[in-house]
Amino acid sequence: MSAVEPSDSTISGRGIFYDGATSARHDVVVEVAPHTLRVLGGNGAVLAQWPYDQLEPLSAPDNVLRLGRSGSAVLARLEIVDPQLAAVIDERSIPIDRTGRTERRLRTRVILWTLAATASLILVGVIGVPLIASELTPLIPYALERKLGAAVDSQIRLNLDARRSGAAFECGSAEKEQPGRAAFDKLMQQMQSAAGLPLPLTATVVRKQDANAITLPGGHIYVFQGLIKQARTPDELAGVIAHEVGHVAHRDGTRTIMQGAGLSLLFGLVLGDFVGGGAVVLAAKTLLRTRYSREVEAAADAYGVNLMARIGGDQRALAAILSRIAGSTHGGPKILSDHPETRDRVAAIERMASGPPSRPLLDEAQWSALKSICADQ
Amino acid sequence: MSNSDAAILAAQASGCAPAGAPRFVGRSQPFWSLVSRGAVLLMLTLGIYRFWLTTDIRRYLWSSTEVADESFEYTGTPRELLLGFLIAIAVLVPLYSTFFLLTLMLGEIWSALALLVLTFLGQYAVFRARRYRLTRTVYRGIRFHQTGSALRYSVCAVLWWSLVVLSLGLAYPFAQSQLEHFKMRHTFFGNLPGRFQGSGWRLLVRGLPLWAIAVVPFTIGATATVLAVDWNALGSAGAAEDKLETSGLAGAVVFAALTGAWLLLSIALLYPIFQAIVLRWWVSGLRFGEVSLRSRLRIAQVFKIYARFFGYAVVFTLIAAALVASMALGLPKISGEPDSMRSELITTAFGLGAYVAIALGYSTIYQGTVKLGLWRCVIESLDVSNVEALEQVAAAGGPASPVGEGLADALNVGGL
Repeated sequence: MSAVEPSDSTISGRGIFYDGATSARHDVVVEVAPHTLRVLGGNGAVLAQWPYDQLEPLSAPDNVLRLGRSGSAVLARLEIVDPQLAAVIDERSIPIDRTGRTERRLRTRVILWTLAATASLILVGVIGVPLIASELTPLIPYALERKLGAAVDSQIRLNLDARRSGAAFECGSAEKEQPGRAAFDKLMQQMQSAAGLPLPLTATVVRKQDANAITLPGGHIYVFQGLIKQARTPDELAGVIAHEVGHVAHRDGTRTIMQGAGLSLLFGLVLGDFVGGGAVVLAAKTLLRTRYSREVEAAADAYGVNLMARIGGDQRALAAILSRIAGSTHGGPKILSDHPETRDRVAAIERMASGPPSRPLLDEAQWSALKSICADQ
Repeated sequence: MSNSDAAILAAQASGCAPAGAPRFVGRSQPFWSLVSRGAVLLMLTLGIYRFWLTTDIRRYLWSSTEVADESFEYTGTPRELLLGFLIAIAVLVPLYSTFFLLTLMLGEIWSALALLVLTFLGQYAVFRARRYRLTRTVYRGIRFHQTGSALRYSVCAVLWWSLVVLSLGLAYPFAQSQLEHFKMRHTFFGNLPGRFQGSGWRLLVRGLPLWAIAVVPFTIGATATVLAVDWNALGSAGAAEDKLETSGLAGAVVFAALTGAWLLLSIALLYPIFQAIVLRWWVSGLRFGEVSLRSRLRIAQVFKIYARFFGYAVVFTLIAAALVASMALGLPKISGEPDSMRSELITTAFGLGAYVAIALGYSTIYQGTVKLGLWRCVIESLDVSNVEALEQVAAAGGPASPVGEGLADALNVGGL
């Protein structure tokens, strides 16, 4: 079973040949002729003649050299077990690379390109997606934003209202809460008319103990009971709500949803779900959103200060309640919080504020009524 | 004495299977280095490397599998998989966007419809992906191929799987047998038509004890949990926690815990048995013309494979825990003052990296033990009769497009 060298100096040896037309096995003699690899059948007939530069090495067990003809639609296969013969063919043919050096070089290139693609996708996620979302958001009609808001609203309500108590989750509907509701409505009325937004504000006080307020697309604002408890003056409460109106005016909720959808599409769909990929996508979304949110919050603060100036309220009240709330709560890691460093925000608000309040937003009686808008427990 | 004589003598001496019987000739070590290198690259490329890794794994498994002294060949390329995936993305992105907008504008009913469409699409992809893999499988210079309508398959599959869910799994053998009938009826090796001869009833009989052990107690437990709660009392109690005792919730919690524990235990112990039964039944039903397959796969073999997986996983867990703990201790030194932005970033990045690395570690161990082990056992426990019929097959069929693979990948329904 070794390569023999006939008189005409053509090296030859034994091999197995499948012609690609049938599955019949041919025991053949393989001749390493000067320009072609010749495959001879038992009766000496030439079964195949393949030029060396068209030989294609194919996947096979370790001890077998399996060859095909590249670019051919017929799947003819030549298999050589004899290591000496295989070595001779390897030497003649450029495409064959039994040491695997070419393959390794190709694979290294692939790896470098995929790494580059990964870096580029991350850049698209960090810079491209927020940019596209910001450009697209002004183009969305307000009618569509309100529908989006309604859909998100029902979802968020389910999440907020942990006890599923329905109407009683909202403050201001019971008999003895009516005066509080009236005061709250008066406050919102002033905001609405001063803001001059293209869509109506829907503000609701809910029984939730966190000192917080959230804004959804379509002008939905939820003020938590805990925030009203923390507020010492009507202006402090108004300052926070004015900040939230800023989110409505800037359509931040809609943009956040667009960004989230874009990131899900990019990282979830394009990168596929390799093991642990889901967690990476979630973390990337949170981190990226936090990154965008710093500028967004600052812009909403500026809007809030301006709106407070227009309705004649205390422009510094937002800063006061912010530093108090931040001092009293120790939440999770700062990097995951939605608000930039409170110190910077407070300083920026103080800088922007231009003058003292010109009139009280609510009188004493209205303020104490508003304080007990969630009285009916 | 020639080499072949020596080989025959050696085979006789070691009591190996007769010449021509299916063999798995791959060594484990190259496979392990393949999958562990792949895991590192998957992590660095956030998964993009999977097209190359999948192809490498298939090439290895196919070419290490020998029937009648001739090994299989996988001719698919990573480029094809990448292309198929990109085409699938081009189809799915507009589809997802449309459903997103429709749900927004016309309400929740559209999201249910989207789910249904995606379920069908997933089964459609399963059938198309099978077609791709078959046409990239070459044996003796002849490729396999698959005909049949993927649309019809997806309708059948969704109907059968709904029936499986509704019957609490009792319809599973019939679903498997019918779907396999459909697939094999449309499968060809060259011009040699495939078919499937497994009977759903036989699988049902073999699997019924398993079903009785796993599903029946679960159903009883779940029912007991539901019945133990006095829903009216719970409803009127509202959130007042002192009334929870009276509503029977404590009893329900006990029932639920018992049921859950039983389910987990039975899955861990019964799954290898279940897998062995199904694999053996499936392989023994495969036919190509006069060529028929029979599997001698034993449950103990599958158990051994999972025991190895479990052992490796335990060792890996211990090492990973020690590494993470020691690195977590060293972390404050490089991350600077606590509570700062930088320290949080470093801690978050470290946690994420550790999580992904550990998840990929388990996946690598699974590939090296369970996937490779099962493949090897199935091949080596295989009897092929009338193997001579494989000698006179004529070529037929051409290569199919890789879009099915791409769809299956994007929808996470991919198989091998």
